[in-house]
Formats: sequence, C-alpha cells, structure tokens
Amino acid sequence: MTADTAAPSPRGPAGRCRVGVDVGGTFTDFVLADSSSGTLTRFKVPSVPDDPSLSVERGLSALIERAGVVPDDIGLIVHGTTLLINAIIQRRGAKVGLVVSQGNRSVLEIGRGNLAHTQDFTLRKEEPLVPRDLIFETSARVLADGVLRTPVADAELTQIAERAKANGIEAVAVQLLNSYMHPALEHEVAEGLRRRLDGVPVTESATIWPELGEFERALIAIMNAYVQPIMDDYLTRLVARVKAVGVGAPVYITASNGGTVSVETARARPIDTVLSGPASGVVAALRAAQAAGRSNLITVDMGGTSCDVSVVQDGEPSFTSDAHVGNLPLMVPVLDVSAIGAGGGSVVWVDPQGVLKIGPHSAGAEPGPVCYGRGGTEPTLTDCYLLVGYIHPDHFLGGRMRLDEAGARVALEAVGMRIGLQDAPDRAVKAAAAALDVATAVMAAELQKGTARRGENPADFTLMAFGGAGPTHANLLADEVDIECVIVPPASSTFCALGAILADVKRDYVRSRHIRLRDGGDAAAALAQIFRDLEAEATAWLAAEGDILGAAEFATTLEMRYEGQSFELPVSLPRALARRPDVAAIADRFHDAHEKLYGFRDLESDAEITTQRLRVTGRMPPVTMPEIDAGPTPSPDDRRRVYHQGAAMDVPVFQRSQLLRDAVVGGPAIIEQEDSTTWILPEWRAVTDRIGNLILTPAAGTEG
Amino acid sequence: MTVFNPALLEILSRKVSGLADEMALTLKRTARSAFVKEGGDFGVGVADLAGNIFAWPSDSTVAGVSTIYYPLGGVIEAFPDLEPGDVIGTNDAYTSDGLSTHLPDYHLVRPYFHAGRIVAYGWCFCHFNDVGGRVPGSVSPTNTDIFQEGLRVPPLKVVRQGEVNADWLALFTANSRSPELNLGDFKALLAAVETGARRAERMIARHGAEAFVDCQEVLLAYAEEKTRAVLRTVPEGVYEFCDFVDDDMITPYPFRIRLAVTFRDGAVTIDLSDTDPQVPGALNYPSMGRMCAGFTRRLVTFICTHDKTIPFNAGIFRPITAINPPGHAMNAEFPNAIGSRLDTIRRLNDVMNGILLQAAPKRMAAPAGGASLEIVYSDPDPGGRNRSRITVVQSMRGGMGAYSGNDGVDGRDASYVNIKNQRLETVESLSGIVVNEYEVRADSGGPGEWRGGVGQMITFEARRDGGTLIIQGIDRQRFQGWGIFGARPAAPFRVIRNRGLAGETELSRFDRLDLAAGERVTVMMPGGSGMGDPLKRDPESVRRDVRLGFATEEGALRDYGVVIASGRVDRAATKRARSESAPRNVRRDFDVGPEREAWEAVFDDETMRVFNRNLYRLPRSVRLARRSWIFAQVIPVMPEAGRGSVAAAIGDPDAARARLADAMKTAFGPDYRSVVE
Repeated sequence: MTADTAAPSPRGPAGRCRVGVDVGGTFTDFVLADSSSGTLTRFKVPSVPDDPSLSVERGLSALIERAGVVPDDIGLIVHGTTLLINAIIQRRGAKVGLVVSQGNRSVLEIGRGNLAHTQDFTLRKEEPLVPRDLIFETSARVLADGVLRTPVADAELTQIAERAKANGIEAVAVQLLNSYMHPALEHEVAEGLRRRLDGVPVTESATIWPELGEFERALIAIMNAYVQPIMDDYLTRLVARVKAVGVGAPVYITASNGGTVSVETARARPIDTVLSGPASGVVAALRAAQAAGRSNLITVDMGGTSCDVSVVQDGEPSFTSDAHVGNLPLMVPVLDVSAIGAGGGSVVWVDPQGVLKIGPHSAGAEPGPVCYGRGGTEPTLTDCYLLVGYIHPDHFLGGRMRLDEAGARVALEAVGMRIGLQDAPDRAVKAAAAALDVATAVMAAELQKGTARRGENPADFTLMAFGGAGPTHANLLADEVDIECVIVPPASSTFCALGAILADVKRDYVRSRHIRLRDGGDAAAALAQIFRDLEAEATAWLAAEGDILGAAEFATTLEMRYEGQSFELPVSLPRALARRPDVAAIADRFHDAHEKLYGFRDLESDAEITTQRLRVTGRMPPVTMPEIDAGPTPSPDDRRRVYHQGAAMDVPVFQRSQLLRDAVVGGPAIIEQEDSTTWILPEWRAVTDRIGNLILTPAAGTEG
Repeated sequence: MTVFNPALLEILSRKVSGLADEMALTLKRTARSAFVKEGGDFGVGVADLAGNIFAWPSDSTVAGVSTIYYPLGGVIEAFPDLEPGDVIGTNDAYTSDGLSTHLPDYHLVRPYFHAGRIVAYGWCFCHFNDVGGRVPGSVSPTNTDIFQEGLRVPPLKVVRQGEVNADWLALFTANSRSPELNLGDFKALLAAVETGARRAERMIARHGAEAFVDCQEVLLAYAEEKTRAVLRTVPEGVYEFCDFVDDDMITPYPFRIRLAVTFRDGAVTIDLSDTDPQVPGALNYPSMGRMCAGFTRRLVTFICTHDKTIPFNAGIFRPITAINPPGHAMNAEFPNAIGSRLDTIRRLNDVMNGILLQAAPKRMAAPAGGASLEIVYSDPDPGGRNRSRITVVQSMRGGMGAYSGNDGVDGRDASYVNIKNQRLETVESLSGIVVNEYEVRADSGGPGEWRGGVGQMITFEARRDGGTLIIQGIDRQRFQGWGIFGARPAAPFRVIRNRGLAGETELSRFDRLDLAAGERVTVMMPGGSGMGDPLKRDPESVRRDVRLGFATEEGALRDYGVVIASGRVDRAATKRARSESAPRNVRRDFDVGPEREAWEAVFDDETMRVFNRNLYRLPRSVRLARRSWIFAQVIPVMPEAGRGSVAAAIGDPDAARARLADAMKTAFGPDYRSVVE
C-alpha cells in the first residue's frame, strides 16, 4: 500500500506515560514508556487464567510503583490478549446460530471442499463452529446484479427467532449470498431478528467485512459472534480494573493488522483483534530494527512450543488475507506471521530406521523439556541447548528455575545409543549437537519457503530474533541461510507489550466491485465513488476512536487481473489516483505489476478490478526508545565449555546488562540475560547499538 | 562414497524437500493459468542420474499433484548429449515412455551440471490451458484418437544452452487457443527448474558435490526401507478385486478394471492382465507397460497413513512392480485417446481399495464416492464483444469412505483432487446462473455401522437463454459404490433436469446440454462407502445424522432400522424394525448393489477372463467391434447409465448366459474356452 505523507503530527495524551500490557497464558507482561524521562520500565506478573483482568490490575499497580509514577501520569493503556484465539481454538465461545440463504446450509460442512492433507485417510475435517442444526435458512434472496428475488418474510423470521430461542442461542451471525454487494437485505434480516431476540447480539457479515466469498464471510461473522460475549465481558472487567487502580486513561486493544483500536471498536468487531499477539511482536521488531537502520527483516519469535516467522520489506511488514485461526481461514488482512514447526519444546527422537528427527510434536510447557524436571521424559531442543553449553543450568530465567542437566543427559544418551554413538563417551552431547544441526536445517527450510513464496532471497535480509529461544538459535539459523546480520533486541520477552504501545490506530476496509477498465469513464466514476465512500466511512470511524490521534492517513490498493483470469495482483494507488481515478494510469500500474512478476505486459487483454481496499491510520504520539550509555566492553564474568562442530571449546560468558553502547564481543561467546541466552558463533561478533540491540555480523565482514 | 550419519541424512532429506518446496512455490507464484494457481495441477522434483525423483516438496499444500512416480529415465536416455542450460520438453505419453500422461501436461527436464558433469535432473510439469485439438481445453472423453487431443511434442530440446528454441516456440504458440496463458506457464516452469538449480548449487557449496550425489540413493533407499516395513505388516497372499466404469461414452457398455495383487515379504506385484481392452474414447491410461503412479494412489495413501515420516520420493515405488501387458484400458496403445484418464484411474484405485480391505481390513478406509467432476457453463457475455464466457459452476465431490471406528468425511473428498471449490458469489457474479442449493446430499453415504461420508449436491438455474453445460467425469451412475463387511452400497450419482418442475428428467452422462432461461439442473454426487452392518449402528449416531441433515427420517428407518420420532429415537419401534430387517441378505464382504449383481450374474469373473483372453488374441482393429457385438447379442437394448435398469434389460440370467455362450462361440470359434490355462 502507498501511505500518504505529511500528515499533521498527533497531539500527545494528557498523561506523560504510556503502558503496554500483553496477557499471555503464563505471564502478563507490562511495559511503561515515560516520555519525560525517556525510559522504559518492564514488569511481569503471573497470569490469572480464570480472570485475566485481575493480573492486569495487580501488575498495573505494581508497575506504577516500580516506575515511580502516579496513576494520573498514565495517559494511555494499550492491551493485547490471547483470550479470543484460545476461545476459538478450544471451541469455548458462545452458542451461535447462523442464518444463511436458502440452499446454503452446508456452507461450513463443505467449506472450500478441500482438506489439509491428501495422503492420510485418517484425517478428519475441522469441527464447525456452528453445528448444521443451528444453521437456519431464509428464503430472502438478492442476486449478484441487485435483483431482489425473494423479499424478507416476517413469518419466517419469527420462526427462525423461535428456533433460536428454543435452542438457547447466545449470539447470531447472518450471512446472505451476495450481501457483500447488496447489504440491505442482510441488514433487514438482522434487524428483524434483533427485534425478535431481545438482547442477543447479531453480527452481519457485510458490516464486518463486505468481501466476496460466502464461506469466508460466514466464518468472519460467526467468529465475531462467537467471541463477542467473551470480549464484551472481559473489556467491562478490564476497564473497571484499570479504574480501580486509579488510572483514568483510555484503553486501546491491539489488532491483528499490527494496529490498535478503541475498546468500543473491539467490542463491536472483536474479530479484528484475534491474531494480535504475534502482530505486536512484529511491530516492536520493526521499531528496534529502525533504530539499527535495517528495513528488510525476517523476524523469528521462537518460544517453547512454536516459532513465528514474518517478513518485513522496505520497512513494511507483509500482510495476508489468507491467515488461519486454528484451522479456520480468516479473510481479513492481518500481519503475515507463519508458524514454523520448531520451538524449545520440540521433541528429539529416532525413527525405527535409526534416523534422527525433530518434532513436529512438542513437549510444550507441561511437562516441558526433561531438564525442567516436571516429568518430561522425551528430550527436547532446550535439553540440547543445555547439554552443548549454550544455557547454564543455574542461570535459566535469571536463576529462578534450576535445570536438571543429569536428566537431560540420560534422555539424550538414549538418543545417542540409537544413532550409532554407542562407543562415544560423550554421546549425549554429540547427540544434542546433531539434533541442533537437524533443527537448524528444519527451520532453515521453512524460512526459505517463506522467502521463496515472495520470490526473495534470505541473504538480503536481517534476522531479528526474539522469544525465549530465538537469540539462542539465531546465529546458527542465520549462518545456515547465508544471512549476514542478526539483531537480538533488548528485553525481547516483553516485546509484545512494547509493540502494543508502538502501534498506531488502524483499520482495513474493503469492497468487492467488479469493474472493467474498458468501460472507461464509467469505471473511473464507479471507482471514485467507492473510494469516496470508504474514506468517509473510515474518517468517521477514526474520529470516534479518540482525540489523541493524528489526522487520518489513507492507503489504497486494488486487486486487478486481466479479464478472464481467476486470480489477482495487488496494485497500490497513490492518494490522488484513488480520489480522481484515471483508467489509463491505473491500467499502466497494473501492467507494471504484471511485468514485474511475469516479465511481460499483455496489451491485448483488458484489465479489470475485483477488489478495492483502503487502510486508515491514525498516528499515536511517538514513543522514544531509550538509549543506553556508552562504555568500555566488560570482561567476561564467567567461562564455560561449549560443544561446537565436534569439539568442546572454552567460551567466555557475558552479562547482557553489562554491555554498554558500542561494546564489542567476539565469538565464540555466550551472552546471558534474564529471559534468554545468545550464542555467538566463532568468526562472528556482536556489537551493542545505542538502544541496546545486539547486532551480530561475521567478524570479517563490515559492520551493520 | 559419503558416509551419512543419521543426522546428516535427516538434514539432507529436509534440504532436498525444502529445495523442491521452493521450486513449487516459484512455479505457483509465477504461473498464469488457474490450473496451476488454483487447481494445483502441477508437479516439481529433482531426479537422480537414472531419473528417479529423490526430492519432492514436503508441504502437501504447495506440492501440486499428490503422486510422484514420474520416471524420467526414458527421456534422459534419449539425450546423451545434454549441455549446461539445455531443457528437454515433452507432452506426449507415447514418445516419452509415459512421462506425460495426456497432452495438456507439459513436462520439462533440465540437467543440473556441477564442475562439468551432471549431478541431478530438475523436473517439473503443469497442465496447460489448451494445446489445440478438437475441443477447447483439449480434453474430451469422446475423443477417439490422440490426434484429436492436440499437438504432440515428443521429447526435444525446448531450451538449448539457455536459449529458448524459437522453432519449437512458434509451433507451440500457433497450436493453442490460449497461447498467452501457455507462454506464461512455460516461463513459470523454466523459473521452477532454475530455482532448483540455484538451490542445488547452494547445497553443493555447503555439503560438497559428492555428498549431494551420494545422498540421492541413500534417500531413495531410506524411503524404500520404510515402505517395505509398512508392506510387511500386510498378510502375504494374492488378493483379487474388480470394479466397473459405467460406460466408455462411445458405447453403452461398462468396462471392467481387474487387479490381482500379490503381497510378499514387503513387496507388491500388481497384475492388470484381466482388465478389459482399451476403450474407443479417451478414458484409457497410457502406462506404456510399466508400473505407474496412477495404479498406486490408494496403496501409497495406505503406506503414508501408516508411516507419516516416509520421505516422499520414488523409493516408495521400488517394492512395487506391475504385470502390465499391452492393449487393456490401463495400458493403451498408440494412437488411442487418453485425455480423460483420471476418471479411469479413480476406478482402478477403488479396486486397489477393495484389495487393501481384504488384505488389511482393520487398517484401510473404505473408498470415497467414486466420482469427482467439474460443471462448466458457457453463456453469452452481456458486457462482452459477442464473446461467450466460460464459468466453472462447481467442482463437485462425493463423500469420503468410512474407516473402522469412524464415519467418512461429509461433503469433501481429498482422495484424488484437493482443490478449492468455486465460491457461489463468484459464479453468480460472472455467469447468468443462480445457484438454488449447494448442499450435502442426505442419505447418500453408504449405510453402515460406520457410514460413508455424504456427497455434495447442487441445483442451479439459467437466468437467460443460450447457455451450454458441460460436465466431464460423471460415473457411479449405474454401479454404486460398494459396502463392506455388511454395509450397504452408497447412493449412485444422479443428474436431473428440472427437478421438481414440469418435465423433470433423469439424465445420463452427456457431452453437452443446452439450457433455456429458467431451466434447472441438479447434480447429486455419490456418497462414500460405509463399513459394517448398518443395523448395528448406534441409534444415537443415526439420530445425530438426522438432526444434522446427513440422513432423513425415512432413510434412518430404511437404511438403519432406526425409528426417529420428534427428534428422539423410539427405542421399542427401533428394536422391532431392526429385528424385522434382520433376515435380509447381509453380505459379509462386499455388497455391490443390485445392478452390478445382475450384470455379474451373466458376465462373471471367470467368463470375463475367457472373454477378454479371446479378445486379446484378435487384432486390435476388430477387438472393440467384436466386444460390442457380443454385448449386443446378450442385451439387445442396453439402457443408458442412470436411465434404466441393467437387471431389467438382462431379464432371465440363465437365458442371458446362454445368449452369451452362443455369441462367444460365434465370435471366437467353438474352442473359445480353451484359452484359459
């Protein structure tokens, strides 16, 4: 998308401090940015699974105390949660009734007709969010060209409402065929049901996302309805808890597109926030990389159970309209973050033919790796990190959790016995090193797939590593895929909370109007009208999102193709062209995009537009990243043996907190911090930049 | 020879499949036709020096086609003089030793050189939109020889030392109805083998050329070893089974695929000798007398289901051999048409499914619905310059088969083609069609203790005059999907014109159908097959089926003996109904349904083996005519599939058998029985 420039800078919030909160399954993380002192304060409390808002209240008051500020200093709270995605994956949402056009009652059973795999006949399809007997048909029907085939029948609505009541329906989703073009009929049905079902929330598919595709749009409406009561309840409690601490600041909620939205929008459109967790990490990574002057990134967030990867090009994160919530497709554009199958908990095993394997199953957090001593018996990558010496049994989580090295050794001895290392005295360590080599190859193959999908080469990117295991594995992975720069940002385990306060308010809009450029002036007029409508809608929305935001900025994209093709290319439009569309200029941009991908322009064929997109952004006041002091490189405070490429070597260990600006650490070296450990390969070196990023580059190469 | 420790083997295994993933992603990203972009009708891989594919994409969502046995050996041997930058291209089965299996599939093979010698071959193919021939899209089941199916390109250098062969390109471009789409896809194919070359070069830089070459055989052997381990779990023996395609689109007579499969010590031999002769239309498969990927779809699914860690490469096929004499429908001889071979492959794999159910009954799923088709509609484009527009109304699927302890998947089928369906909103915005219903078809799943998945159904209506409908792939209209271990047959395929309106007509397979404004067509897909006695199905499961609309109350009583009243199981009435149904003839093995039973009462296995062996002794030129003549003597008026009962047309089976004996005597001579050893 093309962003507009020269937007007026936003006014600052009343209070000088901004707080980001990220509620995860295990911990609730906080980051407080104080604009007057230019400092960031980070804090963590254990999450309260039964009432996540309680951990926010507890943590917030402790944070305020820790940062030495008063509640009135806080001008803004931005909050992210995994509540909704978990509710969908675990099928713990509201009892939803779905209303569809007659003859479309199998929309969820058939879906797009395909399955996840072809070579496994034991594979089942996903459990539908709405069972087929709670899907009600209405004869009301409008055709694609707007012809009203069958109007709404009151008696039928009454019947549907009765059945919904009899079945104890808690929320209703309505998705009628062609409502993306002609939303009025769907709206009429929804209104009729609202009148008859007092207090039951009704979601209209075209109100949430008016894009062509009945199955995907139904899912959007259903998921929105499915999590709305949970979100509503949670936000009510959250706002009350924040007030109870004495903070009167507005609360914003992080969104899946890397932006944030007001509490009111989050209540009405909870679907927009479902995938916000990984998106916030990417937002924080972008900012950390900006400080290091890097704009092409592959972000790798490696935790216990998975590894999330995303690609940033020219400072712009990638978006996808083909994401999944669990196993359900989500058509709304979100930051493109894909999970690759390796985390610290990935299990190391040996198949009957004696070949060493990693995953895909994970020991997760419970029982976790063998070395956690919680009953895990299958060795994991974390056990391997421990045995080869990357992590120290007494220094894990700042020493709060002692690791069972002997247990890990026993488990990996067994692996060693099965892969031909019976005669090696150090077979457990050798097995661990071999397993890490395999894990690196697995991750590298996945990462290269991500870049191949875009036609890019990983060597042109910087690897930004965070999450508990990201810094530990980053250098190995970078070396494997020929990436010559790795950034390990500071305090990466609270990255999502940081990303929350760095995000601007954002929302996406869409229309699916089929416009043929050969219609000339008519096509231009139709397009102009669509963008006028979208801008008006977006402007009105943004105005109600809060008074701390900058003026609306718009980015517009068309999806275009040659007539008769069945897939589209995105074509971004400058603002002027969106406002005063010129068919020849638009065609030109499409031919350019086509030529860039396919190497030629098909001037014989006419181009057509299938989808119109607009993203509105309201800038939040900027946050300054605190800088660290310069100082001499400290001497290592410890040394330990690390097994690398078939031999044990004596490696210096540094504390991250003691590395001041411009500190240089030559590899091989270990840098420990409370929430992670960075392994620096021999022939690489690390330099600390002004905001505390560790920047790893080959020692022979030029620095960053 | 490089020594591969267990970690290095896994690392190289991951890397070569990652390499293939990148080839697939490159092809998919840069291809222009919907066949590649949406249909996934393409394949990529890297082969060893003998042409065995050792690298295949790991990710089935990007891999394209799900079968990998593409032996490049014949093509490679034909070009001893390959130079760096050369690319061989072909689309012709008969001259590429069966590498391509119909003309729209263009295959490229590129030698990967390192330090002056070939270290591997990059390979890819995709289905081109149109390669000329009698009909748009080049494929029609009623084509009768390969020259009607488009321009044949025997293996030749389409790129010489990096320069595209201009002579070939001119010919290729001039012989297509959609040259620009083909050209776009051709460039994407070239980009895919180029990506493979670059990634291979990187692997060599890291691990050395020797390791890169040596790992190929090790990876093939690894897959072979794992495959044999699964196959050894199958009790040794010879298993036989057969099934029918309703007819061949040219004559009204069914044709039979028969396999005898031997499992012995982790090896499999597939004997196709008793399959019916090749048919006059395009439903034949060009296997060139070899073992073929097409024969093993269900077998490979069985193998991969029971060991999910097998690296997907040609090593899987090493324990599998075929006895595959020329002239039968699965080994068509030049110049037979072959364009619609997938429909026959599907039936062959139902036969393989029946064999695996006999060999490993607890560990094999029942077959899927047995038909899979595209509904294509062409109508005048109101905004177009006198052009007509062509819309895929829907890709229809049957249900999937039951698996011991589980019902089959309802309304979806990934067994052969796993592409996404059409959105109704796309169809309605791009064509003059209204879709009245796109639903699961109640009662269509094969009734069983574990029932087959229900098929899909669709009803659509033409809004304007002048539309034409084409449906390819109709089958299971006459002979139903069989039930297993007491399960009843699944519902047959149906296609109905103006269902519920005046002039409602049940249709048989058709080539094309003109529709007037307001006319409707309903397509009802067969369900998957069930397993076990339906009278043993938990009545609560039947009630759930009725509640969700997968079965009707009538179906519950008829098929399961379960009485549902006001949404509840009437236990007493159910007990009564079930005890009354008990005496009915429950077949413990395969219940093939009344039509096929009537057919096989005359044309039984032994008779057909004699019949076919006599036919195969005749010159090919008279074989088909003689075959049709004999059928006509036995059944003077053969009803079209779906439009009349075979059982009724046959009448008294004893009289029919007598007619058959007379006809064979006339056609083959009095000693015709002596052909069987």
